[in-house]
Amino acid sequence: MLATTIILPTINYTAILPELIMLGGMLVLLGLVAVIPRDFSTKTYAGLTQVIGTASLVSSLVLWHDVAAHGAFQAVAQAVDVDGFSVFFLVLVSAILIVAPAFAADYLHDEGIEGAEYFILALIAGAGAMLMGAANDLILVFLALEILSIPLYVIAGLNARRATSGEASMKYFLLGAFSSAIFVYGIALTYGATGSTNLADIAAFLSRNVIATPGTLYAGAALLLVGFAFKIAAVPFHMWSPDVYEGSPDGVVGFMAAIAKVGGFAAFLRVFVSALPTLSSIWEPVVWVLCALSLIAGAVIALSQRNIKRMLAYSSINHAGFILMGLIALSSRGVASSLYYLFAYSFIVLASFGIVTVVAKANSGSAEIDAFRGLGRRSPVLAVFFAIFLLAQAGAPFTTGFLAKFYVVSAAVAAHSYAIAVIAMLSAAVAVFFYLRVVLVMFSGSETEDAVGTPEQHPIVLSRWVWSGIMACAAATVIFGIYPLPLINFARAATLLFR
Amino acid sequence: MLHFAFLIPLFPLVGFAILAPVGKRIGNPAAGWIATAMVFASFIVTIIVLAKVASMPADSRLYVQNWFTWFSSGSLSIGAGIQVDPLSLTMASFITGIGSMIHLYSIGYMEHDEAFPKFFVYLNLFVFSMLMLVLGENLLITFLGWEGVGVCSYFLIAFWFTRDSAASAGKKAMIYNRIGDAGFLLALFLLIERTHSLTFTTIFSRLSSLSKGELIAVSLLLFVGAAGKSAQLPLFPWLADAMEGPTPVSALIHAATMVTAGVYLMCRVSPILHLAPDAGHVIAWIGAATAFIAATTGCAQTDIKKVLAYSTVSQLGYMFLAVGCGAYDAAVFLMLTHAFYKALLFLGSGSVIHAMHEEQDIKKMGALCKVMPLTSLTFFIGWLSIAGVPPFSGFWAKGDVLSNAWVVSPALWAVGALTAILTAYYMGRQYLLVFLGERRWKSEGSEAIHPHDAGWKMSAPLIVLSVLATFGGLLNLPFGSKLAFLDSWLAPVVGASLLHNTDSTAQLWFFGVADGVFALAGVAIAYSLWRNVVDRSVLEPRFLYMAWFIDSAIDRLIARPSTALAAFSATVVEPRVIDAAVNGVAGAFRLSGQRLRRIQTGYVRSYALVIVSALVLIVAYFMVRSGL
Amino acid sequence: MGSLTSYLPIFVLFILGFLFAALSIVASKLLAPKRPTTAKEAPYECGIVPTYELPQRFPVRFYLVAMIFVIFDIEVIFLFPWAVVYNSLGTFGLVEIIVFSLAVFFSFIYLIANGALDWGPIKVQRPASESAPRTTSSTVRRVSSNNEAA
Repeated sequence: MLATTIILPTINYTAILPELIMLGGMLVLLGLVAVIPRDFSTKTYAGLTQVIGTASLVSSLVLWHDVAAHGAFQAVAQAVDVDGFSVFFLVLVSAILIVAPAFAADYLHDEGIEGAEYFILALIAGAGAMLMGAANDLILVFLALEILSIPLYVIAGLNARRATSGEASMKYFLLGAFSSAIFVYGIALTYGATGSTNLADIAAFLSRNVIATPGTLYAGAALLLVGFAFKIAAVPFHMWSPDVYEGSPDGVVGFMAAIAKVGGFAAFLRVFVSALPTLSSIWEPVVWVLCALSLIAGAVIALSQRNIKRMLAYSSINHAGFILMGLIALSSRGVASSLYYLFAYSFIVLASFGIVTVVAKANSGSAEIDAFRGLGRRSPVLAVFFAIFLLAQAGAPFTTGFLAKFYVVSAAVAAHSYAIAVIAMLSAAVAVFFYLRVVLVMFSGSETEDAVGTPEQHPIVLSRWVWSGIMACAAATVIFGIYPLPLINFARAATLLFR
Repeated sequence: MLHFAFLIPLFPLVGFAILAPVGKRIGNPAAGWIATAMVFASFIVTIIVLAKVASMPADSRLYVQNWFTWFSSGSLSIGAGIQVDPLSLTMASFITGIGSMIHLYSIGYMEHDEAFPKFFVYLNLFVFSMLMLVLGENLLITFLGWEGVGVCSYFLIAFWFTRDSAASAGKKAMIYNRIGDAGFLLALFLLIERTHSLTFTTIFSRLSSLSKGELIAVSLLLFVGAAGKSAQLPLFPWLADAMEGPTPVSALIHAATMVTAGVYLMCRVSPILHLAPDAGHVIAWIGAATAFIAATTGCAQTDIKKVLAYSTVSQLGYMFLAVGCGAYDAAVFLMLTHAFYKALLFLGSGSVIHAMHEEQDIKKMGALCKVMPLTSLTFFIGWLSIAGVPPFSGFWAKGDVLSNAWVVSPALWAVGALTAILTAYYMGRQYLLVFLGERRWKSEGSEAIHPHDAGWKMSAPLIVLSVLATFGGLLNLPFGSKLAFLDSWLAPVVGASLLHNTDSTAQLWFFGVADGVFALAGVAIAYSLWRNVVDRSVLEPRFLYMAWFIDSAIDRLIARPSTALAAFSATVVEPRVIDAAVNGVAGAFRLSGQRLRRIQTGYVRSYALVIVSALVLIVAYFMVRSGL
Repeated sequence: MGSLTSYLPIFVLFILGFLFAALSIVASKLLAPKRPTTAKEAPYECGIVPTYELPQRFPVRFYLVAMIFVIFDIEVIFLFPWAVVYNSLGTFGLVEIIVFSLAVFFSFIYLIANGALDWGPIKVQRPASESAPRTTSSTVRRVSSNNEAA
């Protein structure tokens, strides 16, 4: 029969070991939570997740060593790339999964969301984000996108007690499914036009052939672009993000924001830089517009937000604009600067949402700006740390935030994209206002403190978990802000070993 | 051996790192002992490294230790590391050597101070910064150390910040130094622009890419920085005010080490100055003028520390005179000997102030030699040293500077010689008023004081320093190249840029005799005028007491108009122009933010509509581009 | 556009379907007589006027069973073709299908542990902890579930 015509791929399991560790660890947790009594503490599961993240980090670093020594290679029937770029994302995602549980452990316990569900979902999403960076095939990109997205929909609705959580989940799911459909249609059209879903093959095909009627290909590229733009929440595909961030459980929003952006950008950069560079003259203006809109709208709308979670959501949109600048530059320097920005952003956003979580909890769940009034006196250390992360987002020197902005802008300038560089810097100037407003509110506001009376002004007590998370993020933000060379070199090497 | 050089700055840093968080718990006096031990350990390492370097052939006495690349941007790469060569080792050895003695002295001097541990935290941080300044392998590390010592100086001047005068003296020092730092930074920018590097060795190899004008600009801008740090005209008034700090601080920072950083910088960049002789002339004349003006001012001061402060300014002027003439080894020689005798004089004055219960007016002292014999003797040695009486160290160093000045211009020599007489005179006046003459303090009654020599912790440094001040001249005797140890030691660093001293042996002998005569003349004049007399208002005119009204002039012409401008900006420009504009822009943004917010309805259907609309637009654009 | 001509029949079918729907609605609007009454306007127009709102919820268990069904459906979808070409896939196929089955098996255990297949009276699976904030909606839900059980 057909028996002899099936070609079996040889699978190099070490090449996808970090992903396998994540998924295997997830299965272990799934088994544990099934056989162990329900009142088993979330903290245990958080610790286990961190162990799994560490194991994955170690295997990622081993892979990095391989790639640095022997060069990039492909595995699993050319569907997975193992190069500097993919390893960068393996490392980053592993690191996120080490830090993120620290912010969730206590929160979930206090909210009565016991069990390992969040951690299981986070591990699946992490594996998806890793695959996004490693995928060399549009089919795998799509699978990875879904592996990343579906757990995030569920995470958004994790707090079944709160209606807002369900609303966020529903919105995220409906719009996400919508964009996934658009994306998969883009894959179909691209396949139709080029005859392959393999990114390298697509690039080779496009560089060899001139397509007389490129309508199908262009439509496919447009749909892919929209699919990615939705994932990274670029304006005008951003509208889900403030609602979802506001409604989702506080302690997990930072993870959602970080992992979705990391995964989305990983595949976005990979597909457009390595598969479709020949079309850059076509898609670059569109990305330019998305980037400019994200920069402007993110900063301007954030100005009028009173809720810090929403403000951070809009500032994330602003950051997405900055990261897109690396794509506009369309150079290895540009991609390297985007990678640096993603790294910086991930830890800053994790810690920012983490701190918002504890402050909101201490103010009966309110994340309005008034909850932060007088925080500088109430919990000075916490306020100082929050100020550091806000200033890092604003781009203050001696933080990764400053260098991240500096590198993307200088990459854009080097690529002669002066207009976008000017827009970026203006938007950063606007953004400084709303970051500093929070800092100002934290360290002033004595008059209201006296007026309101001080029923809740006792210091906010943080658990060791949250402290460890904050310290880790602060270390990543400040150390790589003062001594950025290792990280820059990593990002540069990642793009040099970019096939 | 050489790779242990990193320990030199590390020890004081460790001391700082220990004392900053837990110094209070360690307390008095253990914190002081830890700080002293750290600086002394650093001194030991310095001496070991120095011995190793000295055993190497002269032309290979350069060891650069690069720790890591700090950052790189474009063609500019800045490393963090240190450079060990004769010049930096000379500086490091006297910084740590004198530093450890002053640390020891401070344990005694500050023992009753409540903020005792904090004092040593600053002191250790200062020594670390100063070592980074002199050991840095590039100008940026030097600049960081430069700023570090500046900020420590600020902390320490304003150490007793509850006193209004101390707080404002700290601010004054900071502001004057900022002016200098601006010059320093501009010089760095120019060097980056032209040589794409800040590493000393690289800069010097690429000097050909600078035009004549640029070389002069770099030299003068660096000199502006040096003038701020080393209190040269017109940026010197802060140093007199800096005497508000504790006396050990005045000895360590404002006499022996920090204020000589400017001289060090000039010697370090001697290859640049060598190519810009016009800038050298400017520096020499400013140095000479500073030396003279400060010396005349010193003649009229009544505060024991202010006399010393102005004498420091004057001696620094001498050093710049030497630098400007191209006699870098003479400048370093004077810097070394000056560190010995000026630290000695300051510590002696600290002993006196301590014994007199914080009295600093020399007119209210007198006849202390009987009750404080040790202090009196060591102070006497300091006086003869600074006056340039042979065979004390000051004689040899000053003679070296003056004989070089003659080669460049006899006029410079004349100013220097006149200053030498003045120096011997006003220091004599101070010694006579403090230690001899009549007793002018109460030894009986309710406010009686009983001055006496301090304990061993304060006396030991005095003895060591007085030995150094006496025999320091042995470092560099002008009898042929064999005895000029310092000249040949520094030759690998500054040798190529040195002034060629054409003075014949006969001339050198003449200068030597002349210098001795000037010094003795000054001493004699002082003795005849101030032996038994306290008040000679003719010799202390207000013009000199106020330092030629330079401080007042700066205040009147620059500070007050600037304050007025600032006040105008704050009351008129800020609210009516800037705030209005900013608020207008902010209001516009906020308004548009609120408008845009309305799109965010919260309905999934409207979000989907936006997505689809944008999708249609993008696909339409792609279709248009595809030519469909 | 040459490659797109093969899609022409689909496009024509799409147009025809759209036209048919549009024509039906328009024709019905134009031709049908309109004599509305309250009973006719009511949902489920069957002549009986509803006296109370129908309960919109029914036990979540139905959804769970449906989802478990879907999971096993998918497992079968994968298992069947694998079984057909089992010989040619060899060890590789076996390993892959075991990995796949294990993943499904673990989720199945998880479902059972969560009581997805327990029928009968509702058991309180997660005792409401003391710290859990009691909101209006949660109280309403608890009260209504008690009523249902009773």
